[in-house]
Amino acid sequence: MTLRDHAIRYGFIVLLFGLVAYFAIAADGFVSPQSAVFIFQSVAITGVLALGVTATLVVGGFDLSIGSVATSAMMAAAYVMVVLEQNAVVAVVVCLLIGAIVGLINGWLIVYMRVPDLLATLGMMFLLVGLQRIPTEGRSIATGMTMPDGSVANGKFGDAFLALGRHRFDFFIPNLIPVSVVVLLVLALLIWFFLEYTRFGRMMYAVGSNERAAELAGAPVKAYKIWAYVISGVFASIGGILLAARLGRGDIASGNNLLLDAVAAALIGYAVLGAAKPNAFGTAVGALFVGILLQGLTMMNAPYYTQDFVKGVVLVVALVFTFALSGRGRG
Amino acid sequence: MNITRRLLGKVALGLAGATMLMQVPAFAADKPAPFDKPGVKIALVRYLSTGDFFQAYLSGVEAQSKALGIDLRVLDSRQDAALQSDMVDQAIALGVQGIIIQHGLTESMKDAAQRAVDAGIKVVAFDVNVENPKIPQIEQSDKDLARLALEQAVKDNGDSWNAGYVYIAGIAPLDRRNETWVDVKKKYAGIKEVAMFGTLDNPIANSVANQARSVLSAHPDIKVMFAPYDEFAKGVKIAVDEAGLNKGIKIYSADISTSDISAMREPDSAWAATAATNPAVVGQVSVRALAQLLAGEDPGHNVIVPPTLITQKELIDKDIKNMEDLSAKLPQFAHADVAMPAWMPNPNAK
Repeated sequence: MTLRDHAIRYGFIVLLFGLVAYFAIAADGFVSPQSAVFIFQSVAITGVLALGVTATLVVGGFDLSIGSVATSAMMAAAYVMVVLEQNAVVAVVVCLLIGAIVGLINGWLIVYMRVPDLLATLGMMFLLVGLQRIPTEGRSIATGMTMPDGSVANGKFGDAFLALGRHRFDFFIPNLIPVSVVVLLVLALLIWFFLEYTRFGRMMYAVGSNERAAELAGAPVKAYKIWAYVISGVFASIGGILLAARLGRGDIASGNNLLLDAVAAALIGYAVLGAAKPNAFGTAVGALFVGILLQGLTMMNAPYYTQDFVKGVVLVVALVFTFALSGRGRG
Repeated sequence: MNITRRLLGKVALGLAGATMLMQVPAFAADKPAPFDKPGVKIALVRYLSTGDFFQAYLSGVEAQSKALGIDLRVLDSRQDAALQSDMVDQAIALGVQGIIIQHGLTESMKDAAQRAVDAGIKVVAFDVNVENPKIPQIEQSDKDLARLALEQAVKDNGDSWNAGYVYIAGIAPLDRRNETWVDVKKKYAGIKEVAMFGTLDNPIANSVANQARSVLSAHPDIKVMFAPYDEFAKGVKIAVDEAGLNKGIKIYSADISTSDISAMREPDSAWAATAATNPAVVGQVSVRALAQLLAGEDPGHNVIVPPTLITQKELIDKDIKNMEDLSAKLPQFAHADVAMPAWMPNPNAK
């Protein structure tokens, strides 16, 4: 391998370690198990969303609705528990169903209605941002809230549900690893194995790289594409569940920042190990990269706009790695 | 005195009206024109509308309008500055008698407001400075909000502590709250701001929680978090809980909502106090100030709605669980005696 190949392959990982080393020196308290766990926790929600959107990127699509799927799932969880007074299991099931149904509709719009992916999921994004507000007429959901008809909602977030956001597992140190981090790691492993080592996953890559060739080879291209959106929707709704469990209420939010951060993580992931294509491992590293940056910068009192700026720089550099250095853009 | 048929007619009408009023006292007899009869048309032109605050504000506007028999039109530009300015023209074309401008940008609303004034329409503005001496400015006093919360912080913690401060420059109410924070730091040399952070990435509470966690690990010596916006405070509280520091840190904030109340009431909650103006009351005051203008009275150029301090202890002692309880049990929160001439109906009176 030439130096250039090495740069492409390991450049980003080296950058990541360099960053950690820099913050270790510059920011007191950056190197500690708690700090490491916290970085994972801060990226858990966007990380889960990013893994989902990776699935759609793999089949050559895109899902703009993940942010609003997550916030809709959060509102749904709050609505089910606070207003309908159901338990945590029902809330989780409803959220996952919402994710799956939205994914199916997205897939159906794109595959059968021939709506371009960006447009279909953009429409779905607006639809969900509006829909999540209809049941409560635009109010956030919390125990004791007054409903539009004047009654008071008395349900509560179940302890089991809140535990999803607040319980910590012992890992060498007691109460160290939050549930959300475990969820992120498990989902990352699952989707990584699924995309890299199963026939289904490999076929999804085939669909993404040349849809026509895959179709001529007899692959059910439409089914694969729809599945990709279902995965994306379900992952986004899992992100929404974690969000609801962390916040402990249903918060009116468009989720646009979740979407942007998740997409950024997935795109940064292109550059990891010189993959130059969407991949689950890269996405996870990308999310972590952003998390480390933000943690370090915040610890050093950098204001939010510099953080956005740095995030942007990282994304641009990653895209240059992917497209210019690996020669993909020229193909 | 010339007794014309016209004058006779007026007297007759007045008498008829008076008898009707005796039969139906619900519609108060002593309101000045144009509120002596229902159907005065006004428009609420909004820039911001999503979120609990704006919902509550609207409900206040609606309640006071109903009490005055006003025909209210709501025009919502959904954060589109150009559209909001067009909507003022739309309201002029609708033939409204009064306009409430709710938020917006000075640059885009200044001229539009002037056009409305030129068209003979009475205008009031809430939380947007339209730089027009003829237009009363409705304000919740952000400086007082911050002052109340910080005075409580000094009362609870003494005048020497390390503080984390959540702030974003460039948001008008936050900038005004910041002025008070700067003054307080000047006044008490022992109060040190060791970290400043903040973000408006939504969901805001989640993003702020991430930042606050980083700040807490970088500055374990923080005793007080000043988060003068409730979404910020919610985020800080999540971070404090996650770090297990809820007994060592106190959070002071501004604004209030039902979910804030439950967060403050949690056992060992770090959220000690908040200062808030009831957004519904601000909505009512907006309509009342406009009504005064329409009736030819002067509400004054700056109509300020005073805030209320709400402490964790009060919420628990008085068993306040939501915004309705808060209005019922803290009367100063439910009603502000601002823009309340004798003839003005009080929408909160039961």
